[in-house]
Amino acid sequence: MGGLEHANWFMSALFGSMCLIIVISVLVAQRGREMFIRRIPGLTAIKEAVGRATEMGRPIFFSPGLRGIEIATLQALAILSYVVRLAAERATRIIVGICEPELYPVAEESVREAYEAAGRPEAFRSDDVRFISNEQFAYALGSVGLMAREQVATNFFFGMFFAESLILAENGQALGALQVAGCPDPVQIPFFIATCDYVVIGDEYYAASAYLTREPTLTGSLVGQDIAKALLVALLILGVGLATYFGAVGNEEYNFLRQLLATGATGS
Amino acid sequence: MWDSIQSVFQPTTSPPQLYRNLAVALIGSFVLLALLHRFLGPRGRRWLIAFVTFVGGLYLGLEYFLPVRTAVLWPTAIPNPNPDRGANLLTPGIEPVGIMMSVIGAFTVGLGIYSLCQVHGRSLGQRRPGWHNSLAFFLAMVAMLVFGFWAHYLPKVDEASAVMPVPRAIYEMLFSGLFMPLQAATFSLLAFYIASAAYRAFRIRTAEAGLMMAAAFIVMIGQVPVGAWVTSGLPTTGALAFFRLEALGEWIMTWLNAPAQRGIVFGVAIGGLAMSLRIWLSLERGTFFSEQG
Repeated sequence: MGGLEHANWFMSALFGSMCLIIVISVLVAQRGREMFIRRIPGLTAIKEAVGRATEMGRPIFFSPGLRGIEIATLQALAILSYVVRLAAERATRIIVGICEPELYPVAEESVREAYEAAGRPEAFRSDDVRFISNEQFAYALGSVGLMAREQVATNFFFGMFFAESLILAENGQALGALQVAGCPDPVQIPFFIATCDYVVIGDEYYAASAYLTREPTLTGSLVGQDIAKALLVALLILGVGLATYFGAVGNEEYNFLRQLLATGATGS
Repeated sequence: MWDSIQSVFQPTTSPPQLYRNLAVALIGSFVLLALLHRFLGPRGRRWLIAFVTFVGGLYLGLEYFLPVRTAVLWPTAIPNPNPDRGANLLTPGIEPVGIMMSVIGAFTVGLGIYSLCQVHGRSLGQRRPGWHNSLAFFLAMVAMLVFGFWAHYLPKVDEASAVMPVPRAIYEMLFSGLFMPLQAATFSLLAFYIASAAYRAFRIRTAEAGLMMAAAFIVMIGQVPVGAWVTSGLPTTGALAFFRLEALGEWIMTWLNAPAQRGIVFGVAIGGLAMSLRIWLSLERGTFFSEQG
């Protein structure tokens, strides 16, 4: 089934409710209410992974994935900023391999600002944020070559990855690097689980900035996101119940669920 | 008025007008960027980014949520690529906005090439270890550029009857004879990487790994003829049919794997929505976003 080209009234109401829940949670958190976030091992391991590189005196490699400027990549850049700050405080070199040219200036600026925020602007080396290739496998092989030549101690793979995920992570594993990965695409998660030490799964990926910084705005957004998820689960249960009921009574003609989710071409 | 605004985004067919528009756009962009760099501090720059992000998000959001009517409000200046599709007031602008984003993205290719030349130029100039790789990069880039452009601007000939010109033949050799096979060879390496990753993943160390191994074994063997043969003694109908390996494998994929995957996708989608909302309202923290107050 293709995606909706335009929202119908049901989608507008659902989408609006979820946005409202998230915004209200943010406002509540900004007023100083304590909010609990469960432990996420993959994100907790980031400090350990940077520490390992520092102890070994070897660099870190960070890949923000294959896509250009999009939501998943922006999250990867937020994690990159955090990792660079940690690495800069510990005088550890970090190399960033870029695939999409449009991401290159943004990533370079993120790294430069993270070095400045850590109080070590002089440690920034423009060569360490490098465009490798915008061809999928050329990027993978270029990154693997970089990891091998620089003898990296730690690899971070955060962003959108595709078939090259296994090439990157399996070679990193062969080099003995500690690897932390996170990808919103569920197809790539098994490959990362098989080859990386820590993996951030599913919506944990988008929890990263809140988890790492613990800033009230982001924490509130994370809690709102969980409430919205609960709403969606409730709707799913209701939908399954109603579909089962109408199926059982044989009244499939009156399938209003299908109408609710039908294409929005007719509008509201 | 809407028509005249839309017509600005239409492609230009007359060459003099095209070159004039190109020159104006390029000079205008450089002047605008120079002025912004000169007069906007970090705070101003963040405000500008927040404003552009908000307006962009608002436009795309409204286009999705505004009610649609079939083939109405379409400006005459723009050909409608899909007349049967519903549209609202903002729909005609979607394609020009997409093209604008592609054009901005295309400018950054130059930055990518600059980065590569900078890194490999230093490596070559200082004879760092592996400098020969940098030399190979420059040779490959120059060869592809020269023969690519040369082949592109050669006069068109009937390829069926004519001998392929030398520049085009060299370009074909470099692209189809060298680059494409290298890509295919890299892709084929995945088979070996999958085998070694699977070996590591399936080592039974914990109860979860054992469960995964058992499920993987059933799914894999259920998809090959030997799996069907092993349980061919079981009936094809009735309760016992469920225990035929091909049926069991299908059941694991449909009833266990698919719901788990969909659950992850739901979580990711809501996480993406929350992240989009934070970026749209400039609530996100870090580079390009404001610091926590």
